[in-house]
Amino acid sequence: MDYTIVVALEMVRAVAWLVLLASGLAIIFGMMRIINFAHGEFLMLGGYTVVISTGHGVNEWIAMLVLAPIVVGIFGVLVERLVIQRLYGRILDSLLATWGLSMLMIGGVTMIFGNSVTGVATPLGGMSIGAYQVPRYNFVLIFAAIALLLAIWAVLKFTKAGLIARATMQNPDMSEALGIPTRWVYMATFGIGSAITGFAGALLAPLTGVVPTMGVNFIAQSFITVITGGASVITGTLSAATLLGSISQGMTFLTGPVYGDAALLLAALVLLRLLPQGITGRIFKKSL
Amino acid sequence: MTTEHILTTRGLTMRFGGVTAVDNVDFNLRDGELRCLLGPNGAGKSTFFKCLTGQLTPTEGKITFAGQDVTGALTHQIVNLGVGIKTQVPNVFDGISAYENVRLSARRKHLAPMARELTHTTLERCGITHLAKREVGLLSHGQRQLVELAMVLAGEPKLILLDEPAAGMTGDERDRLAQLVLESARSAAVVVVEHDMAFIRQIAKFVTVFNRGAIFREAMIDDIMQDREVQEIYLGKQANVAAA
Amino acid sequence: MEKPVTRDPGFYVMVAIGLAVMFIAPVMLDLFTIMQITQYVVLSVFALSLGYIWGFGGILSFGQAAFFGLGAYTFAVASINMGSTTIPMVLAFVIPTLFGAALGYFMFYGRLSDVYLGVVTLVVALIFWKLINHTAGPEYSIGSARLGGFNGIPSIPTLHVPGDPSAWLDPGQMFQVFMGFLLVIYVALRFLIASDFGRVSISIRENETRSSLLGYDVRKHKVIVFAIGGGIAGIAGAMWATYQAFIDPNSVSMEMSAKALVWVMAGGVGTLVGPIIGCILLQWLTLQLGTVDVVNSIAVLGAIMMVLVLALPKGIVPTARSLLLGGYILWKRNHGQAIPGKVVKE
Repeated sequence: MDYTIVVALEMVRAVAWLVLLASGLAIIFGMMRIINFAHGEFLMLGGYTVVISTGHGVNEWIAMLVLAPIVVGIFGVLVERLVIQRLYGRILDSLLATWGLSMLMIGGVTMIFGNSVTGVATPLGGMSIGAYQVPRYNFVLIFAAIALLLAIWAVLKFTKAGLIARATMQNPDMSEALGIPTRWVYMATFGIGSAITGFAGALLAPLTGVVPTMGVNFIAQSFITVITGGASVITGTLSAATLLGSISQGMTFLTGPVYGDAALLLAALVLLRLLPQGITGRIFKKSL
Repeated sequence: MTTEHILTTRGLTMRFGGVTAVDNVDFNLRDGELRCLLGPNGAGKSTFFKCLTGQLTPTEGKITFAGQDVTGALTHQIVNLGVGIKTQVPNVFDGISAYENVRLSARRKHLAPMARELTHTTLERCGITHLAKREVGLLSHGQRQLVELAMVLAGEPKLILLDEPAAGMTGDERDRLAQLVLESARSAAVVVVEHDMAFIRQIAKFVTVFNRGAIFREAMIDDIMQDREVQEIYLGKQANVAAA
Repeated sequence: MEKPVTRDPGFYVMVAIGLAVMFIAPVMLDLFTIMQITQYVVLSVFALSLGYIWGFGGILSFGQAAFFGLGAYTFAVASINMGSTTIPMVLAFVIPTLFGAALGYFMFYGRLSDVYLGVVTLVVALIFWKLINHTAGPEYSIGSARLGGFNGIPSIPTLHVPGDPSAWLDPGQMFQVFMGFLLVIYVALRFLIASDFGRVSISIRENETRSSLLGYDVRKHKVIVFAIGGGIAGIAGAMWATYQAFIDPNSVSMEMSAKALVWVMAGGVGTLVGPIIGCILLQWLTLQLGTVDVVNSIAVLGAIMMVLVLALPKGIVPTARSLLLGGYILWKRNHGQAIPGKVVKE
């Protein structure tokens, strides 16, 4: 019984993990149809924000919940202004450029902070379920993922900005024709997507430690979740994360973490063979 | 129904979300027939063509070509059964020469030497031999139309679909086109979508009028020209467009 | 591009340069330099693999290193087990080709859009990299070859004369054989591109819809192009493995895939010489920068990649070509002659 609870909890945590990893990317993809290849490095930047600010005596929760999103969000806006906006309409070029940015960031951060792992203490400690020890921090991750999705949903559903965003997601050309300033929408989108990614990176930092090359460990999962989900931010991310999270976590329980990722990829390939536009490209088309 | 139909559609319907672009169309085309499709912009003619060539999979209905059910077949499969299409917006290979464009079509069915010959004769038929070596992306709209037409003809199709072939053409080019269409109709069935009435008069006999995705009228061209209701949907629409 | 390969003077010039380097370099240069150049030769083959599928099939693979690594590991495992290098070299072509065909089937028959294609190819390489990294334990061995995880596979046999495993090639001979590989692959690709198959690939790159409206099966074509590119990258990987006598997961890394992209972008998409020039130039640059401690080579690669996308989207060879052509037109103009009709833009 206890074991079942622990396994179930792990499954939910795996889904929450994918939701956190992919949401920022999914917003950018859903609105702009581009994949930010430097996504992993945006996570890394969030992690370093926590390390540096807590090193200067800032409370770790403030660092994670406030500083990391702000820092990475601002960085995202800068990147959009300096790089992405020059490449609108050239989707593949924007992928290549963000890939270049990714390497530039890895190299740059390595030059500044060196190539060693900086640990961040996991807050809250553990708790026991029957005979098993479970880190309390897992609940933080699950709660954060739920809160994040709810927040995105509320913004999309109830605010004017959300209405514009939904219009742009449904039909970018038409929105532009209706006089929506697409350029500002894109800048804001990229900034918000980056901020969420920074937030996710900050939450991951205590679990993985922080190192310039950490991004590469997460991008496969993030990219797969986003393209499997398709263009709808919430439904897409949630359905893909649930499906892929359970598959990879199930596989991890059976064979160990290595094949978890491989199973993730295989599942995604089969799914994309059946639904080339992702889950929300065919099913739940009208969803958010 | 004694004559053989090369193309029939039954209940062909194509919906995009809430919009029905093609609505329950029953269309029959005899082998070797030349048919004109008329109808205001947005009547569903191009969508109808896209369904016929497998670029769109119809929501409902059945398409039979040369006795085979081709509903839901892939574009290249349908084309290989003998369908050639000139699309509304010229669909050519911009980065390569006109000759190579046409040769790619001719080579589909023939070995290299035969394909070369066919390419030359087709270019000549279409009166664009002088453009053979030019990069297609640098040609005028009318010239690109002719290149695309040559590509269609070089494929030696049994059914030729032409979507607004006269658009962007000069008077001379248009006359040649009309002649070409009539000539092609001797060896293949041809369906032409066109707005250019002068051009239609040059070629049309039997005409199908589309309106709002459905077949509105089918009659001989002279009757269609006299038809008050056809004039209304056509002119009404065009008047609106002109006003807008 | 449409005239037969045999009537293109540029083709003969390239082959002549290749043959000259192949035979003169070992006589003129010292052993160390020869070994350095061998590295460029191997990586040029890798650059060609991406240059072909991207430039002549319109397929942008973000994970070309997956094939490079697969070829390298195939060669390493097979040659260690067999004690010979001839059949492993063949396998290093065949297995990545088959893998490319299988992956291509999923991607092209699924009609994935460009963005998805890029992401899927990248992710495949990433997961391959992760899997290999986790094979450090002794339980991960194939025959007598231990995969070695992040430590890599050492003691990979040096290339030998086919049929005689004791007749190892010395570095000079290895260089010549590899130059031979590069030349053969270059020539083969030139002929492939000029063939009917190649022309159809180019037409697909130009306009996919029209190709299928002419009756060509676009999906099948792309799978074949992608698989051939995979096979060539596989050979490059095998050459890399035997040249270094060592292979590790870096050969499958994102950086490796990125390098190939940068070489092709720098040299110019849509040429075969471009990727080779891009490869040599940038590898040389990396080597020079490697001696400077402060600068991180990954940062440099990333910066170059961004600059190429933003400032020089066509690449060196096409840019140089249009500059030369522009110069030619100016020269003609100054000398009062007619400008050839071909270059007049409407």
